Amino acid sequence: MSSTTATAAPPALMTLAPDNWKLAILVGLAVSVIAAITFPASVSFWIVGAMAALVAAAFVVNAFRRKYYGGLLVAPAIAVLFVMNIFPLLWSLGLSFFAYQSNNQSIRFVGLNNYIKALTNDLAAEANWNALVNTAMFVVFTVAAQMVVGFLLALLFAKQFPLRKYLLILVLTPMMLSVVASGVFFTYYYDPTFGILSYIMGNITGEQFILMDNKLGAVAGIVFADAWMWSPFVMLLVLAGLVSVPKYLYEAAAIDRVSGWRQFWTITFPYIRGLLMLALLFRTIEAFKLADLVILLTKGGNDTMTISYHLIRIANEQNKTSEGAAISYLMLFMVIVLTNLYLYLANRRSHGA
Amino acid sequence: MSSSASFMERLGFRKASGVGEAGWGRTLFVAVIAFIYFIPVLFIIFTAIKPQNLALSVPPTLSPTSFFGLIPDQYVFSPTLENFGSVFSRSMTTGGAPEDTGFDRYFFNSIFISSVSVGLALIIGTLAAFGFSRYPLKGNDTYLFIILTTRMLPAIVVIIPIILMFRTVGLSGSYIGIILLYTAFNLAFTIWMMKSFFDELSLDVEDAARIDGSSEVKVFFKICLPQVVAGLAATFVFGLILTWNEFLFALLLSGADTRTVPVAMNQAVSSGGRGTDWTLLAAIETLFLIPVFLVTFFLQNHLLRGVTFGTVKR
Amino acid sequence: MSTIEIRKVTKRFGDFTAVRDADLSVAAGEVVCLLGPSGCGKTTTLRMIAGLERATSGDVVIAGRNMNELPPEKRDIAMVFQFYALYPALSVGQNIAMPLHYEKLSKAEVDARVIKVAKIMHLTEVLDRMPSHISEGEKQRLAVARAIVRDPNCFLFDEPLSRLDVELRHSMRGQIKEVLTGLSKATVIVTHDQLEALTMANRIAIMRDGLIEQVGTPHDVFAKPANVFVASFIGTPQMNLVDADLKSFDGKNASVSLAGNDLVIAADPAVSRLKPSKVTVGIRPRAFTAANEKAADTIAAQAELIEPMGAETLIHARTAAGGDIRVVVPRDKRVKIGEALHLRPDPKQTHFFGEDGKAVRA
Repeated sequence: MSSTTATAAPPALMTLAPDNWKLAILVGLAVSVIAAITFPASVSFWIVGAMAALVAAAFVVNAFRRKYYGGLLVAPAIAVLFVMNIFPLLWSLGLSFFAYQSNNQSIRFVGLNNYIKALTNDLAAEANWNALVNTAMFVVFTVAAQMVVGFLLALLFAKQFPLRKYLLILVLTPMMLSVVASGVFFTYYYDPTFGILSYIMGNITGEQFILMDNKLGAVAGIVFADAWMWSPFVMLLVLAGLVSVPKYLYEAAAIDRVSGWRQFWTITFPYIRGLLMLALLFRTIEAFKLADLVILLTKGGNDTMTISYHLIRIANEQNKTSEGAAISYLMLFMVIVLTNLYLYLANRRSHGA
Repeated sequence: MSSSASFMERLGFRKASGVGEAGWGRTLFVAVIAFIYFIPVLFIIFTAIKPQNLALSVPPTLSPTSFFGLIPDQYVFSPTLENFGSVFSRSMTTGGAPEDTGFDRYFFNSIFISSVSVGLALIIGTLAAFGFSRYPLKGNDTYLFIILTTRMLPAIVVIIPIILMFRTVGLSGSYIGIILLYTAFNLAFTIWMMKSFFDELSLDVEDAARIDGSSEVKVFFKICLPQVVAGLAATFVFGLILTWNEFLFALLLSGADTRTVPVAMNQAVSSGGRGTDWTLLAAIETLFLIPVFLVTFFLQNHLLRGVTFGTVKR
Repeated sequence: MSTIEIRKVTKRFGDFTAVRDADLSVAAGEVVCLLGPSGCGKTTTLRMIAGLERATSGDVVIAGRNMNELPPEKRDIAMVFQFYALYPALSVGQNIAMPLHYEKLSKAEVDARVIKVAKIMHLTEVLDRMPSHISEGEKQRLAVARAIVRDPNCFLFDEPLSRLDVELRHSMRGQIKEVLTGLSKATVIVTHDQLEALTMANRIAIMRDGLIEQVGTPHDVFAKPANVFVASFIGTPQMNLVDADLKSFDGKNASVSLAGNDLVIAADPAVSRLKPSKVTVGIRPRAFTAANEKAADTIAAQAELIEPMGAETLIHARTAAGGDIRVVVPRDKRVKIGEALHLRPDPKQTHFFGEDGKAVRA
């Protein structure tokens, strides 16, 4: 497919050529080290940056001359991700081995102490564990609710009917709302004094209704709001699967007199399984990060603290940067294990079928 | 339908018997459910045109009209457009003269930052996706997995190093900083999505173009890209919705000049210690919803086709 | 009693009329092919019989019951789709068993029927494979197997062989015909391949632009085409259709001016109905004999292009008037390019068509 045969021999190390990336790395490294030692950080950063650009340029020219299109195409994305994601991640990995607080200039190497504290300290470990259990609970409830509601909504829209386009966009709107606004408005809907829910319940039961005053109610409120916002996302993916089933399969099923239930499992489901799994993956990852709705609706009260909000508290409000970093690395480890397990299962199932 | 048609069938729920079309019965049924689903949004929009003093009335006021007597008078309010005016200009202190709130600037920031960063992510991500799909590197899957993991962590994990980094480099509060950050934020999704689109394309067509003498660049632009327009549109919409409403990064990294609407909205409604200003919040959100709503609406056809094409194997 | 009967069936899609006033009846044990160029409405007709499309007007009667209002699942039919419509998530065996679930048979009974059909269709070896992992020919046989596993009112085939290569098509044609003969059900096969229709059908219905042009046995549609379209559509190489002036007819011999020749030829008595006028004369390429010299019943032409076809040779000859005539001669008849030919048409295989394109026949 790609012609990867080298069209030119690589230049010797000391030749001054635009595609000599080895020389560029040498020069770049030397200049960077000197700059880092002699100049303050605000100046040396730009010099190091310029050297990185030089090396990158040499790579690009080299790739062009030798037709390494793959590397060439991927390079900009990798660069952006490196600067904005991977580098900060490595930085925070480094920080997790130090005692560092962002409101305090002192920094001290403590080895694995942050991890040990996160896992074994009576107070911290229990809070972490508690937040983790709550997060797991939210993941299960919100994702399950979204999958069910999204799936049912998709079934509604699976056929062509008049005005479908306009009704579909109505259902998609909750996804487009800013979580700040919808979250705050959900506090209004749930408000014991002014809220609509309490008004309706009050009229039925004759007593004041307070949704969020116990854990069950608080969790239900958060799950409901989250499911309302993100079910349309699941719906969109499932709907895409539903409309991709070839019509002649349904026709054949009609002629073969296949029952509706069997038709669903043998024809429809195989077509949407891939997209359902994708929806499950994306929504699970997002649910794992659930924080904004909790902040807005309960502020973590009634035992609704999630790991993500817990981290924001530790790292941002209490300024325990390195401790937060340690916890987040434990969390990353867990997420990677879970995702790999998921990908393994998803692949095995699709191969087995 | 036959005389034995059930109630559901009359509603338009015919079993899949050939024509994939249902009638107005289905429209009615779906309209009821879609309306119920839409009520919380509708309430926000109605709150935006409510007089401020009715925001927290008991019983709650629900509608600007009685819909021909359908809704009892006690739930009806008389609509006003005042709230939209006070989004851009209102008195900040009790009894003070109206001041410019700077929201025109925030709206510009949101539009500018979102469109540039989503567009940039689309360009960079599509190139990378094409690379991953057509010229697999050694350890291709590992790269892809690492890219996915960048989406797995709560924003707070990367944000502290980024704050420190931006501060050192002087990027905090600048457009470049926040745009680069959002670009990275959207890249993972863009690459995964677009790669699955490119994987689906027939390689024969590309090879035919190569045999006819097209360069690799031409193959990409003239052959591949036109086939994934729906995917680009779908990815753009998803990216836009996420970026448009992003709050935490914006809160911690945008300066006074680069503040986006969600941050400004959060401040506007809770400032001055007077509690939440419901009608103002609703007015901001209603205005803020319009652009992303329109984009989604106009790209809607691509949205479904895009998702289907990209992720389902035949 | 005929098992399938459609009466005055019309299907309109918006402004477009796909099928117009189609009448057709298929008896039990009879195989009828719907034949026509693409877009002629043959598949739409089949889908209306199946109940996958609703007729705009007219009646579809199967086994004596009016089926207009019934969905496909209530019509008790079996159908083989053009793209086979195999259930991708089910194994070959499960695909065959699918139509049996409706009948609530015991598992042993289902297995027995599946194995029996698999044996007939030579699928025993691949019963456990998935449809994506079997060959094109096996897919085709699986589609047929799924249709014949039941005992339905009738069979419907939509272009069943169009996806196979020439060789497979050949053998499948034989196999399907054999299976259908054993089942003696009313069967409708849609095809655009006339060879398929001629070999498999008891009767052929030829369609064009939504109209059924002629229904007849393979012999009839070949030997007695009802009109110019059928004449040109059936038979390879195509029938020569030459514009001519009918000068006179004495009840036995017609005198025509044809392609620059004055020709006297024996004709059907019904030709007397045609007043001296413009007619179209149809002569099959194989209906010529070569005469040594010009005569009253020969057409003069010059060989222009010679295509050997194996056992026979196809000659494109140019007449004095400049028209092209296709002639098939035996292989051993040597003809050189530019050679003058005197072609004598066989009167029994010469057809007269009036100005309306309809054949004139007693």
